[in-house]
Amino acid sequence: MAKRGAPPLQADLLQGTLDLLILQTLVLGAAHGHTIAHVIEHRSDAVLQVEHGSLYPALHRLEDRAWIASFWGTSENNRKARYYRLTAAGRRQLAQQTSRWEQLVGAINRVLRPAKE
Amino acid sequence: MSWLRFFRRERWDQERQRELQAYLDIETDENIARGMSPEDARHAARRKLGNSTQIREEIYRMNSLGFLESLWQDSRCGARMLRKNAGFTAIAVLTLALGIGANTAIFSVIHAVLLRPLPYHDPDRIVIVVESNPGKGFPRFSVSPPNYVDWRKESSAFQSMASAVLGDFAYTGGPEPERLTGANVAASFFSVMGAEPALGRTFLPEDDVVGKASVVVLSHGLWTRRFGSDPQVLGKSLTLDGRPYRVIGVMQNGFQYPRGTALWVPSEFDKESLGPGARGAHYLRVLARLKPGVRIDQAQAEMSSLSTRLEQQYPKTNAGWTSRVISLNEITVGDIRPTLLVLFGAVGFLLLIACANVANLLLARAAGRQREIAVRFSLGASRMRIARQLLTESILLSTIATAAGLLFAEWAVRALRTLPPSNLPRAASIGLDLPVLGFAAAVAIFTGLLFGVAPALQVTRSAPSETLKEGGRTSSAGRQSVRSALVVLETMLALMLLIGSGLLLKSFVRLQTVDPGFQYTNVLTASVGLPASKYSTDVQKVQFVDQLLERLQSVQGVKEVAAASGNPMEGSNLGFAFATRDLQALSPADQPSAGYYVVSPNYFHALGIPLLAGRSFAQEDSLGTPRVAIISQTVAQRFFHDKSPVGQSIFIGVGAPTDKPLWREIVGVVGDVKDDGLGEAATMTIYEPYRQMGWRDLRIFLRSDSNPSQLAAALRSQVLAVDKDQPVADILSGEELMSQAVAQPQLRTLLLSLFAGLALILASLGIYGVMSNTVAQRTHEIGVRMALGAGQSSVLRLVLGNGMRLTLLGIALGSAGAFALTRIMKGFLFHVTPTDPATFVEVALFLFAVALLASYIPARRATRVDPVIALRYE
Repeated sequence: MAKRGAPPLQADLLQGTLDLLILQTLVLGAAHGHTIAHVIEHRSDAVLQVEHGSLYPALHRLEDRAWIASFWGTSENNRKARYYRLTAAGRRQLAQQTSRWEQLVGAINRVLRPAKE
Repeated sequence: MSWLRFFRRERWDQERQRELQAYLDIETDENIARGMSPEDARHAARRKLGNSTQIREEIYRMNSLGFLESLWQDSRCGARMLRKNAGFTAIAVLTLALGIGANTAIFSVIHAVLLRPLPYHDPDRIVIVVESNPGKGFPRFSVSPPNYVDWRKESSAFQSMASAVLGDFAYTGGPEPERLTGANVAASFFSVMGAEPALGRTFLPEDDVVGKASVVVLSHGLWTRRFGSDPQVLGKSLTLDGRPYRVIGVMQNGFQYPRGTALWVPSEFDKESLGPGARGAHYLRVLARLKPGVRIDQAQAEMSSLSTRLEQQYPKTNAGWTSRVISLNEITVGDIRPTLLVLFGAVGFLLLIACANVANLLLARAAGRQREIAVRFSLGASRMRIARQLLTESILLSTIATAAGLLFAEWAVRALRTLPPSNLPRAASIGLDLPVLGFAAAVAIFTGLLFGVAPALQVTRSAPSETLKEGGRTSSAGRQSVRSALVVLETMLALMLLIGSGLLLKSFVRLQTVDPGFQYTNVLTASVGLPASKYSTDVQKVQFVDQLLERLQSVQGVKEVAAASGNPMEGSNLGFAFATRDLQALSPADQPSAGYYVVSPNYFHALGIPLLAGRSFAQEDSLGTPRVAIISQTVAQRFFHDKSPVGQSIFIGVGAPTDKPLWREIVGVVGDVKDDGLGEAATMTIYEPYRQMGWRDLRIFLRSDSNPSQLAAALRSQVLAVDKDQPVADILSGEELMSQAVAQPQLRTLLLSLFAGLALILASLGIYGVMSNTVAQRTHEIGVRMALGAGQSSVLRLVLGNGMRLTLLGIALGSAGAFALTRIMKGFLFHVTPTDPATFVEVALFLFAVALLASYIPARRATRVDPVIALRYE
């Protein structure tokens, strides 16, 4: 299971996080897998070194839940590529998960901060 | 969603492949743009993406239903294993198919006969009300019309109540006169049964008036057969017993009650049959439909108090008579239920034995697969996964066996369906229908788990490292003990079945040796019912019989001819109170009762019933001469003691009661006939000459030197020669008459013996298999023993001793089990107790001998082990 370069996070935590990142990426508009992978990598200043391949099962899962939809299109450099866009359900899901994520981060921070000081 | 994708996984996978390829292309393009060489660019892109096959597999799995997927895999793998071991598969399938087939067949009978509701509307509310006089030996008896009328008026538990009387009708509309079974029923009969007509209407109360133009309702069968399903049949006229009946309705297909009824006519009670003297004449079948919500016991309580009141009101006729309310279902199938349940238990045992055998085979085979499984363990398969695979294999095996078993069952069901209803009620409706198939499917899964669980546990419990380390020979003491336990179980179950069938066989043999009291070989009997409209006077009836007997006597091949009011062995369907001079003070209700026959003078001679004293009837005993009677031996012994009955007087309560009782002179005593069945006590019987007591419902007997069946046509034509409108029915040989009397014991003895025989074969195969396997596994040990000087006989003793220990344990347990269980068969046994020591010992010895033989063959093989080869083999 362990993948080269993947952060040693717990699988389900990672999975949920990856879902959130993908949804967030698609807020700006439709994108294909390659773009999504690079956007996540760049935006996190390369901290999240996700193996690009692991994105695809996640995309599949999200599409399965109807949070994103897909279509074939042509990329900037004229390659056929599968594009993904956020659905209404996906937008709701993103808002929900973002706030849950913030709650979680806040809670963890509150626990960690006294120890730091 | 996932379901749909499950079936489109391949297309999805291609789609993903294209998508991943797109990623690679784009990434490669960008890498080249960054200045990499095309080759490096491609490699870098691949690295960035990761293992694309793994990604595709992950997505593929997401699209599949894990459980089904592995089930499918396991099934395919299992099918391969079964194909590879064709011999093992064939034996296992055959063994299980026998067990499952027998179970399915018996269950189909139980379902059709006991479980499925009777084919009437709301059948649970239909009851039969009988009169009962246990003191006289009539626990369930017909009802007299006046009592029925009172019940109907005064009871409140029933929504409706109706009477029915079966009767024969001579139908003369066809090419040849035909006898039809019909029923005289009250107008409320159809509403009690909840039956609607397919055409026209059923009876109204105003149809049921004596002297009015008669009406008839046809059964669907008669309508189809005789009227070509003519929809214009309503209003047409039908000649029955020489009297015109107007057709007013046709019942729906499948409605036929009482059994065999082709038509229904109104009951038409006349003044006489409802008069005060008729209270003692019991001949009605009374049916009723309970009001909604009323239980049988509530109806019974009301009927009991009603009967008590009638008993007080009419002590002369009703003393000792109570009433019983019995569900129609109980009446229809109550007698057969114990037989079916015993048979169901027997096939259950048979299936367990089959399972034990197959489990044994699987265990033996598991030894060979130990390494395969150990390797799979080592490669990371979980115990659960392997156990599931083994169980899937077992269930696959039992499923194939069930398919084969259904063929057996279908064949058996076809045979059972041809049984006459007197042997097996509702036999025609037996079939492999949906519930039965459901049962078979459940049995398939259950047996698969049952025989698969032991091997699966065994295999998964053993440590893989041990197996791999040990190489070939495994110390399999644990497995051996499971197999020994299975052999003990098989032996035990087989012994129980064998004892059960042994007891039935013994009873049956004893039953067959009972002298029925008459000679039935080379006898032909036929039924002739003279219509009342045409034969109203005694003179007419006597004339018909006189002419017919005279004509038949001259037919080539006929040795003896006789006529009587009933067949011997059909049960004393007519019983009348009688009295001797000593008993004449008793009220009619307290008088003893006897079976009653009206016979021609030659009857006793023709049927070989011995004349013990006095004389037989003579042609001169006719309408004008003093009344005479002949009694059976039991009557003579019980009521005349040491006095000779010949010349004494006897009164018989037959016919309309008169002020002055009619006494007959006893002219002879004849031997007893077992009218109530071979297993029952001899019936008391009183005979009267037909020339003094005209009778309409006649049986004609012909005796010839050889097979009398070719005389049937002659009999028919002679009857037509006397009266061209007179039908003949129920032509039976004497053997058929007798076989009807032993049909039920014969059926259950045959079936149980069949199952016990199969059990014996399976159990001895099981013993043989286990002993062979033991010998094969102990070849090395036996070789060492022989090398150290053990003789052949001691090796023989070693192996046989092992087998016999298991057999004896099984026999001991089986005897105990049989001792506990055979008492449920008490009602089936005749002159044998359920724990008959002789049967127990004989059967146990028999089984022991078979087991000895089954272990002797492998033991002999062990003695031929060559120590040199056995040791070198290692």
